[in-house]
Amino acid sequence: MTTLTSTAPRWQGTSVSAQIGILTGRSLRALLGDPKLVVFSVLQPLIMLLLFSQVFSGIAGTAGFPSGVSYIDYLLPAILVTSGVGAALQSGIGLVTDMKNGVLGRLRSLPINPSSVLVARSLSDLIRTALQLVILLVAAVALFGFSPAGGLLGVAPAFLLALAVSWSLSWVFLAVGAWLRNAETMQTVGFLAMFPLMFASSAFVPVEGLPTWLRVIATVNPMTYAVDASRDLALAMPVGGAVSGALAASAGLLLVGFVAAVRGFRRPLAAG
Amino acid sequence: MNDVMIEVDGVGRTFDDVTALDEVSLSVPRGSVLGLLGHNGAGKTTLVNVLTTMLPPTTGSARVAGFDVVAQAHEVRARIGLTGQFASVDENLSGTDNLILIARLLGASRREARARSAELLDLFDLTEAADRPARTYSGGMRRRLDLAASLVGRPDVIFLDEPTTGLDPASRIGLWEIVEDLVCTGTTVLLTTQYLDEADRLADSITVLADGRVVAAGTASELKARVGRRAVHVTLTSADDVPVALGSLERAGLEPVHDEPAAAVEADRAPARRARPSVVSTPVQASTDLAVVVRALDDVGVEVAELALTEPSLDDVYLALAKNKTAA
Repeated sequence: MTTLTSTAPRWQGTSVSAQIGILTGRSLRALLGDPKLVVFSVLQPLIMLLLFSQVFSGIAGTAGFPSGVSYIDYLLPAILVTSGVGAALQSGIGLVTDMKNGVLGRLRSLPINPSSVLVARSLSDLIRTALQLVILLVAAVALFGFSPAGGLLGVAPAFLLALAVSWSLSWVFLAVGAWLRNAETMQTVGFLAMFPLMFASSAFVPVEGLPTWLRVIATVNPMTYAVDASRDLALAMPVGGAVSGALAASAGLLLVGFVAAVRGFRRPLAAG
Repeated sequence: MNDVMIEVDGVGRTFDDVTALDEVSLSVPRGSVLGLLGHNGAGKTTLVNVLTTMLPPTTGSARVAGFDVVAQAHEVRARIGLTGQFASVDENLSGTDNLILIARLLGASRREARARSAELLDLFDLTEAADRPARTYSGGMRRRLDLAASLVGRPDVIFLDEPTTGLDPASRIGLWEIVEDLVCTGTTVLLTTQYLDEADRLADSITVLADGRVVAAGTASELKARVGRRAVHVTLTSADDVPVALGSLERAGLEPVHDEPAAAVEADRAPARRARPSVVSTPVQASTDLAVVVRALDDVGVEVAELALTEPSLDDVYLALAKNKTAA
């Protein structure tokens, strides 16, 4: 039974950055081990892309629609943002799932900084989201003829902006998860919040085309700004205040979400 | 060096209005096994959570491996291993990757981590399944991997929270042997269980928890002396005969109790042990006491429907302790 004895010197622990690196690697390894997860998570936005591009294609050329732009070019920058928001919600749900199944309990019994666990989840989810959006973009170009005026130089910043929005919101949802600790409630609340945010915005039709009451909501909906920003970039339209507004709001949410998530996560896991 | 590895002093823990732990004190010397015995909700897991720094106590203090669980939580976590319902492995990672992850987080180099992982997988007979995701493991294999995961850092103290719950008998015995080997090497173990036979087999001393309080503590034989090595359960044809039967058994020098419905909780024990108004139980020292029971019942003309001799269970411990309390 020499294997069990304490003859070897005790390991001296790891720095926070090493912890984050190791834990991020763990999540990505799980992702590589099950690539189905990425493929499935891209299916939903692809289906939305297919349906919306057919259902709403007649909108091109109506009031408020930018002239000379095809509907798919108009739609895709929005889908980038809504997919990113959806991925952010999944990040929070994933955290709650890990809390319930004992993985986090094991990690928290180790001499590591609890925040490392959160940062690692956020980073690996960011990488996963980036992968999803890239697949989405490639599919949009290959299958739906997506070719925005901005070209690659416009789409790349739009993609980065969608990622920034997704990352900041993922911290908000991580915070919600760390405090709420109930995956079902999060799923329900998340979807209830997502649908109005998506539809009462400029994501699928120009705000000008909405009924007055929806237009009022859409003009105060942060999703509208994120979508407008992404679209301005991808379509090489004059970049207005939407981009800086979206980035500033993301930075604010990121900060608030991070502090709230760390505080929520430090509370004891067990309640019995 | 301090040779008390776990020291609990007046620890209490409340959740809102619920008192999960109330003035719990205990002490475990290095290289010994403490069995923490109690039903679901008795406070076992809460105590483990306090001692593994997962949950701060509301009152009192505790030291593990010489460090305070609140003020020196990091030091404590560097010296413990935890296996239980709140600490599990990652289902999506293979056995090897799970153990490597933990070793790396503890500060091992890649090479050391790989070597330690291989060593433990071999020891726990998991080498063949090493590269499969943990979700494909059987219950017994999962529990062995859980245990291996808690041993990666060669901890001084390990906490096993109901390590054999839900395991088949063979896996259960296999796990017992592993724990026994572990203790031989000087590791201190705190084990929670609902089974008296498990605590009896593994523990040097046993602490019984009920409603968050320590209701008894001692060696297995001390406890069994109080409980009775075995118990006889008599099902009477008529529940009306219970008082008469109890009286007669008491006169015969036994300590009979009436199976109150609340007392019989352990549903997975023999069905005959379920709460029934006409069942009377008494601890007995030897099988010859069986004759005493029969004679005592026969003397008062009580008709017996069924008679069973069983090994003591946690229920019997509780029953005996409750009996002692009312008698005191």
